[in-house]
Amino acid sequence: MKDSNFDCSRYIVPVNIDRKHLLDTLGSHFALKATNHSSEKITLVDSFEWGLYTKRLLGFRMDNNNLAIWPSDDLFDPDQASVVENDNPQAKFWWDFKESPERGQLQDILALRALMPLSNGVLKSENGSLQDDEGKTLVFFQMVSFYRSASARNPLFSQVKLIPVTGYEEQQQRAQSLLLELGCFEPSLSPIDSFLGAIGVTPAPYTVKPELFITPTMPARTAVNSIISQMIEKQRLNEQGVIEDIDTEFLHHFRVALRMTRAAIAQLKEVFPEQDVLSLKERFGKIGRAANHLRDLDVFILDKKRYLNLLPESLEPGLLPMFDDLEKERASEVKRVAKWLKSAAYKKEMADLQALFEKGYAACETEWSERPSSELAVNKIMKRYKKIQKSALKITDSTPDEDIHSIRIDCKKLRYLLYFFGGLFNAKQLSRAGKQLKRLQNRLGIFNDLSVQGQYLETYLEETEHQEQKDVYLIAALGGLIATLHHMQQLSRKESIHELHAFSAKSNRQLFSQAFAAVGPAQ
Amino acid sequence: MRVIASYSIKGGVGKTAASVNLAYAAASAGHETLLIDLDPQGASSFYFRLRTSKKDRGKSFFSRRGRLLKNIKGSNYRRLDILPANLAFRNFDIMLNSMQKSKKKLKQILIPLDDDYDLIILDCPPNLTLLAENIFNAADIIVVPVIPTTLSERTYDQLLGFFDSKGYKKKKIRPFFSMTQQQNRLHTDTINKMGKKHSSFLKSRIGFSQEIEKMGLHREPVLAYASKKSPVQAYRSLFNEVAKALGMK
Repeated sequence: MKDSNFDCSRYIVPVNIDRKHLLDTLGSHFALKATNHSSEKITLVDSFEWGLYTKRLLGFRMDNNNLAIWPSDDLFDPDQASVVENDNPQAKFWWDFKESPERGQLQDILALRALMPLSNGVLKSENGSLQDDEGKTLVFFQMVSFYRSASARNPLFSQVKLIPVTGYEEQQQRAQSLLLELGCFEPSLSPIDSFLGAIGVTPAPYTVKPELFITPTMPARTAVNSIISQMIEKQRLNEQGVIEDIDTEFLHHFRVALRMTRAAIAQLKEVFPEQDVLSLKERFGKIGRAANHLRDLDVFILDKKRYLNLLPESLEPGLLPMFDDLEKERASEVKRVAKWLKSAAYKKEMADLQALFEKGYAACETEWSERPSSELAVNKIMKRYKKIQKSALKITDSTPDEDIHSIRIDCKKLRYLLYFFGGLFNAKQLSRAGKQLKRLQNRLGIFNDLSVQGQYLETYLEETEHQEQKDVYLIAALGGLIATLHHMQQLSRKESIHELHAFSAKSNRQLFSQAFAAVGPAQ
Repeated sequence: MRVIASYSIKGGVGKTAASVNLAYAAASAGHETLLIDLDPQGASSFYFRLRTSKKDRGKSFFSRRGRLLKNIKGSNYRRLDILPANLAFRNFDIMLNSMQKSKKKLKQILIPLDDDYDLIILDCPPNLTLLAENIFNAADIIVVPVIPTTLSERTYDQLLGFFDSKGYKKKKIRPFFSMTQQQNRLHTDTINKMGKKHSSFLKSRIGFSQEIEKMGLHREPVLAYASKKSPVQAYRSLFNEVAKALGMK
C-alpha cells in the first residue's frame, strides 16, 4: 500500500550526540541531500486555559508574527502547520489576526481568551533526504532543535523524523537502525508532551468549574469547606490576569469563583455558626462589589459589534462616541481594580479568608455540620428546585419582570449546587437535569441581559441631557437601540415564560425527584 | 479522485513533459498525486530517477490489483508517487485483446486507488489502439498537447474523428498549444485558426524552451528547477485550468 504519509518515525536525539555526528552517520550509508535549513526565533503561546494544548495542538508566534499551529503528531513539520497570518506584533485575540479559515479554527478554541507567551527560544530545522547514487530519494528526514537562545550551544530539545517514501521500506528501516545504534530513542510521550517536558514548561489546564471529590458520607462542613477553599484558590489564580488586563475572562472567572464561594456560604449556611455566616457574607460581598462595574463595561464593550448591527447602517457611526466613552471609562476602571488587587488591604483580607478554610473551618458544631454531605445536597437541591418550579407556575403575562429575574437567580443557585454536589448523583440523570436547567438559564439570561442593557442605555441617554453640545446622531442611535432592545426584550419575555412552564412540567418534576431522591452507591 | 490523461496520437509533442510537470504542480498544490507511466519508453520514470523494471509485469498490471500498488514508488517530492513504466507494457494491446470488458480494464484497476490519491495522471504512449480506448474510458479529462503546425492540426482532427466514430465524449478532450514559438508565423496563424475553430483549447500555452529540453540532464520536472519568473511556470497555470475544469479544490 501507499504509505508515504504514515508510519513516520520520530527519534529524540540525546544531548551527547551532536548534529554533525548524526549527519555523518547517516551520510556514511546514504547520499545526504539538504533541501533547506532555517533558524527562527519563536515563542510558545497558549491561553490561560491551555486551549490549544487540550486540543493536542501547540501554537508558536513565529519571527514574522504569523501564528503557526501544529498538531501533536506533526509537530514542527513545515508542511503540516496551520498558519494564521498576522503582521501585528500585539495580536493576542483571534480577532486580531487576518481573516482566514485558520483564524476560524483559532476562534473556536480561544473564544474570548488571549494568547499568552509561555516560553521562547530559537527553532532550527533542517530538511533533506537520504538518496541513492542516482539522486533518487529513499527517505525524507527532518531534524528540529530548540535552543534557549541563538548563542546557546546545546539544544533543549532535538528530534529527527524519518518520513518513508513509498516503495523504499528497506532503506527506511536501515536509516532507523542507524539512528537507534547511535543512541537516539523513540519518545514514550506524545511529541508535544516530550517537547514541553524538554523545555521545562508544564501545562496546567484550568477550568473555573469546581473539581471536587465529595463523598456521600463526608461531613457536610468538610464538604462545604473544600468547596470554598477550592473556589478561593481559583479566584486567586485569576488575580494576575486581571491586573495585567490580559483578557476579560480573568475578571469574569474571578467573579464566578467568588460568586460560588458566596453561594456556598449563603446556601449552605447551616454548616457554619450563624454569627460567622453574617460576617463571611459581608466580607466576601465587599470583595465582589469592587469589580462589578468593570465587568458591566466588559460585557458592553464585547457586544459592540452586535449593538452596531442592530442599527441601520446610517445610524451606526452615531453610536461610536458612546463606545469611546465606555473604553475610556474601562481604561480607568481597569487601573482602579488592578490597584485594589495589588493593595496590601486586599491581599491581607484574602490571605485571612483563605487561612480560615485552608485546614478546615474551625468553629463549634452546628445542627448540620457533621451530617453526611449527601443529606445536605439532596435537601438543598430539592428545595431550590421546588422553589423554582412553584414560582414558575405562578408566572403569567402580567407578572412583573422582577419576578422573572428572581427566578433566574434561583436557577443560578441551583446550578451551583449541581456543580458542588454533582459527583454524588447518577451521572446520566444529572446530565439530563443539568441540560434542562441550562436551557432555562440561557433563555432567562438573554431576557435579563436585554433588560440590563436597555436600562444602561436609558441612563446613558439621560446623562446626555446635561451636556451643552448635544450630538443628534448619538441620541438618535441610542433611541433606535433602546427601542430595538425593548422589542427584543418583549419577545424574549414570552419565550422565557414558555420555557419556565416547560421546566416546571410534570416530566421534569419526575426527572428532578428521581435524579436527586437518594444518593448513589457510597464511594 | 480524478484522472487526467496526457495523450496525443503524435509523439514528440511535449506529452511527457506535460505529465511530469502537471503531476509536480498538483502535488505542490497539496494534492496526493500518482503519475502512471504507461509509455514503455519510460521517459516519465527516467525524469523521476526511477529505474524502469525489466521484469514482465504487464499481465499482472491488469489482473492483480495488489501487485499494482506494490510497484508504486515515492518520488523525490512530497505527495507525488510514480508507477514506473515497464517494458512489458509494449504488449498491453495483445493482453487486453484476450480479456473481457477489454476497454474498461484500466478504469477498473484505478478504482481502489481512490483511498490514497486525489489525482492520477496517465502518461500515455502515442497510438490509437485498445490501450488508448482504455485511457479514454478511464480519464475524466484528456489533455492533448498540440504543436501549432498543419500536421498537428490533422492528427488532432483525426482524434476527434475517432471519438465521433466510437461514440466517446469529446467534451473530455482539452487540447493546449505546446512548444509554441512566438517568432514563427506558421505557429501564430495556426494558433489563431485552431483557437477559433475549437473552443475547448485551454488558455495556457507552453512555449518552446531550452529549460524544458534540459529536463533530461536535471532528471527533475522543470518546475522543480526553473525560476519563479520562468515562462515554464505556465505548467502551473495549465494545471490550475485543468483542476478547475475537474472541479478540484
